[in-house]
Amino acid sequence: MKLGRIWNSLATPKNIPKVFSIILGLVLLAGFIVPLTYNDHQLYPRPTPQLQISEKDPLAPYNRGGIPLEEPGIVKAQYPQFAPSEGMVTGYLSPIAIGVSNTTLYFGTSIYSSPGGLIDEILYYSRGFDTILESSILMMAFVIASWVALHFTMRRREE
Amino acid sequence: MAASVLVPTVVSPEVVSLYIPAIFTGLLVGLIGLLAISYQKNDLHALILTDIVSLGMLILVAAVGTDLAEALILPGLVVELAEILAISEILMSREMRKMDKTVELIPLPLSFNMEILDTAPTFLAIILIIYGAFLSGFTGGAIAGGGILFYVLSKMTRGVPSNTWEGVAGASGIAWCLWIVGFLIFFVAPSYWLLALFLAAFGIFIKVAFKVGLIGVIGREEFKKDKE
Amino acid sequence: MDLATLGGQFLGTIPLGDIVLYLTTFNLFMFGAALVFTAIIAMSRTESQVEAEFGTLNEREKKVSKDEFKIRRFLSIVCGLATAGAMITGDLFNFTLFVCLIGIVNIGIVAAVKEVDVLDSAFQYGIIAMIATLPLFGGAASILATTGTISLLELVNIPTSAFMLFSSILLFIGVAGESGVAPFFATKAEMFRTAGSPFLVIIHLSSLLVIVRTIEILLIINKPFGV
Repeated sequence: MKLGRIWNSLATPKNIPKVFSIILGLVLLAGFIVPLTYNDHQLYPRPTPQLQISEKDPLAPYNRGGIPLEEPGIVKAQYPQFAPSEGMVTGYLSPIAIGVSNTTLYFGTSIYSSPGGLIDEILYYSRGFDTILESSILMMAFVIASWVALHFTMRRREE
Repeated sequence: MAASVLVPTVVSPEVVSLYIPAIFTGLLVGLIGLLAISYQKNDLHALILTDIVSLGMLILVAAVGTDLAEALILPGLVVELAEILAISEILMSREMRKMDKTVELIPLPLSFNMEILDTAPTFLAIILIIYGAFLSGFTGGAIAGGGILFYVLSKMTRGVPSNTWEGVAGASGIAWCLWIVGFLIFFVAPSYWLLALFLAAFGIFIKVAFKVGLIGVIGREEFKKDKE
Repeated sequence: MDLATLGGQFLGTIPLGDIVLYLTTFNLFMFGAALVFTAIIAMSRTESQVEAEFGTLNEREKKVSKDEFKIRRFLSIVCGLATAGAMITGDLFNFTLFVCLIGIVNIGIVAAVKEVDVLDSAFQYGIIAMIATLPLFGGAASILATTGTISLLELVNIPTSAFMLFSSILLFIGVAGESGVAPFFATKAEMFRTAGSPFLVIIHLSSLLVIVRTIEILLIINKPFGV
């Protein structure tokens, strides 16, 4: 009798997000009990917070070494053997970026650094496939949203 | 500069000691959001509350505290934005069908009819677009897209030809292909990595800018119909 | 334990930087199945649904318009390709992104309908898909934190800890929410009450294949059959 009611409520679409969030909430509560372990041998580690800033490095906190177009920067990737020109993107600075970084100590914290730089190395090169998927998720969402908007939200007035 | 200042061999102890508090914060934020979703009675509330849950997700990813984690946050954020975009459109379409009423896509409380909206937008939009092109990549795309959006939203007096939408959307798709070509060059011809980097950066720039701009084009079509 | 225990013969890898796709007999079969099904879908046309009206002898035919047909076919092909990709990827975070792509495309396939009930269940499914990003990405990030890698080829050799088990449970709940399986199936079942097969079938096929693949990944991470 009671079980039947539970099954029935599971068959109502409106209740499903609630059921899902309750189950997920219970599992998250378990996260407070499980012993958390952190392996400090991570890929792509970054220096101690504020260390590069106290060293007066204009590229702080994103300086990973390297000379633009000549010498690759230091990148601890998972599979260096599969990425022949690794570190070159990190080491690359556009001419404007070099100019700006000579005048200020806070170049790294601004958003001038694209293209080139650390995040571009990971996003475009070593984990570029993730970005392809991510931008196609954005594209699909836009296809759906704009299709619905163009065909229903706007065309309804003419119907 | 010493290599240990650039890239340490192990994650610094400060980050390690912050890991457990950060995970607990993330779990708590997630729990608060989930609790609210299980109590809510309104579909719109559920949609907004999922944002809190996704905030918990971002904290869990950021807790790792490496450069990799910083790069992984971006996909998480974009997935969340993309889903909220598509789902809110579905919610709107459903409500309109249910109530048999229409609403504007971007409702504005006032009829903005001010002199400054005719003169200022061009200049500001051009500055934003040039600055965005200079930055390139995701940030540049967002800034240039903001510029286009601003221009289109404020200049709503003149209509856009109906095929403009398809043209801009097509260009955005081509930009996406540029980006894939760039990615493949990285592996097929590693010596041309610089070309690949610029293809990727500007492909993403054009794509993101046009995507943001297109929101404005929908809005403008809507305004045009209101004026008639 | 190595990948061959679960997947049969290890056939090779496709390296793309840090993300390495790998092929075993098992996942190659699922990859092929998803691709073949996508090709069939790309060539097929939609059925039209005929409903008998209650109390009279009339019947009502529901047809899918050309515009609607085009967008549905496009999204179904994307869904099929994403499913195929999820089968052979060797990176945990990459896998979660494939699952998210499948989730959003599934919503899109039914977003074009006119029935309020179906739109309502698509919306509820979307809400679950959004909540599910927390366990999905959170689980992957926790595995990264506790092992220091998210490549499945490396995770095979790392002994399991309690935190890894917890992260895997999170990951599973995430996939379950995103692909709408067992207890959360109601929203998805409602979405099928509309015209437009066979594009609706790819929603089924993708969640089936993704769940099988998720179980394989969880077995790789947790190694219940000994190292």
